[in-house]
Amino acid sequence: MGFKDLRSFLSKLEEEGQLVRYSEPIALSPDWSDITRALPRMGQYGPAILADNLQGYKGKKVVAGVHASLANCALMFGHSKHTPLQDQINSLGKRWAAAGDASDAKLIWVENPPCQEVIIEGDDVNLYELLPLHRLNPSDGGFYLPKTCVVTKDMYAPDDIDSENVGTYRCQIHGPNTIGINISNMHDAGEHIAQAEALGVPLPIAICLGNDPMLDFMASTPLKSDESEYKYAAALGDFTYELTKATLSNLDVPANAEFVIEGEILPFERFPEGPFGEFPGTYSGVGKTCRIHVKRVTHRKDPIYSTIYIGGRSETESDMLLALNTCSLLYNQLRVDFPQVRAVNAMYQHGMTTIVSAKPRSPGHAKTIALRVACTPHGTDYCRNIIMVDAEVDPFNLTEVMWALSTRVRGEEDVFFIPSTPGLPLIPADVHPPLGRKLVIDATTPIPPDEFRPSKVVEPYQKSTDWRDTIAKIQQQLQK
Amino acid sequence: MKCLRCLRESADVVAKAPDGSGAWEVYYCTECNYSWRNNETEEISVPEKRDAWGQLDKVDFNQMRVNVYRAMKKPV
Repeated sequence: MGFKDLRSFLSKLEEEGQLVRYSEPIALSPDWSDITRALPRMGQYGPAILADNLQGYKGKKVVAGVHASLANCALMFGHSKHTPLQDQINSLGKRWAAAGDASDAKLIWVENPPCQEVIIEGDDVNLYELLPLHRLNPSDGGFYLPKTCVVTKDMYAPDDIDSENVGTYRCQIHGPNTIGINISNMHDAGEHIAQAEALGVPLPIAICLGNDPMLDFMASTPLKSDESEYKYAAALGDFTYELTKATLSNLDVPANAEFVIEGEILPFERFPEGPFGEFPGTYSGVGKTCRIHVKRVTHRKDPIYSTIYIGGRSETESDMLLALNTCSLLYNQLRVDFPQVRAVNAMYQHGMTTIVSAKPRSPGHAKTIALRVACTPHGTDYCRNIIMVDAEVDPFNLTEVMWALSTRVRGEEDVFFIPSTPGLPLIPADVHPPLGRKLVIDATTPIPPDEFRPSKVVEPYQKSTDWRDTIAKIQQQLQK
Repeated sequence: MKCLRCLRESADVVAKAPDGSGAWEVYYCTECNYSWRNNETEEISVPEKRDAWGQLDKVDFNQMRVNVYRAMKKPV
């Protein structure tokens, strides 16, 4: 069922009217940045765009918006493109539950893979000329690879695919064949860097670009260090994942990736990197990070470079890449202890504001559920603001959430803070990272003896129907 | 040539438009690792119009935040 490579998924998108081919000349900035930024703001059916005439890169193919809309994500999972958000999240939750520990996932290793059809040796690599690079945002410190699957191995378990990590990390081009990469110690690749430095040896690393859509999706998902992104991509996508060995190391890379950049990180080298417009909407600063020395680039014939837009206040493709799994995983985790939870909206900034709808079983119970959100593995540092709403309120309908906030919150009884909790360096409101704080707003209807003036919520008639489509059709007829 | 960002004489041409159009060149600074093209918008390419927020000429590189790594796993 899954799509083994980017190309087959683009074919599907095109078949469904979700891919725009564009061959007019496009200026790299601001136009290409503006185009990639527009795609996720085009609503449920926003398309991907495949361009081949970027300024200075005529003939090189580049695609953006592959994951930018709900319709595209629905197609990635094999659903109809009209599948609503909640249905997608519910389905994903069931797939996670069915995948279990992914021990049944099917992986195969391929000889003479497409990703190695063309080989360029390190000294001949010029990333600025090979890849259609652009500055995503005006204050970025250079040209970034924003949609990467970066592969590293546990130095003490080099043959263990479960502890091999595939993660999305930002990569700044530092010269023709050098890359600055910003990886936090708390991420799995950070542990691998630490191991290599403790041993005093280079860390082999591979940056895979233009991947099948499920791997990009998994690379943004917070799995445990001994959980394989390849196995979960195969399990959640219900397909056999095709891998191959990198040419210069023991790393496992996607056999059908469009590009694989193979290199190494030398121990204790640190160089200035940044700024970069990050997913919470503000720029990171400049700091000293590791550097990848590129040894070789392999790629498919007539390769397609895949990019996304990140940054700013509005919806971005990186939000969508993070959103579905964040909602789904938090939902599954909460339901273990709290089956009263009906739905979780963690779509915003990777769940930094999370809205949970639940049917509290006793007075004050909603606040207990909120505290559980705050101590899930992801919620510990990401879920800064937690809003609880009744089961009848749709947490994805922000008008209904505003109604709950307007009519149910009683000030000091329903709003509380937890200071000095784990936080995030990317949030300016976390003034002294990694220290942060939590805010909980209980917008559920208080249960006696918790005080609330008795009232009856206005609901439609019992046999009411939704007339919106009917009226819209009449309106269309009148406009002809 | 002078880097637009850190103002050190540490930048050089590293790439040209691969389609042969001459549309742009890329410059890269080996000190601060900034890259830019000669045809970018004015907020990037015109020194007087660059955002002071991003400039590194008055920044002490020795005081920059440095990524630190501590391994949880030790060799057996």
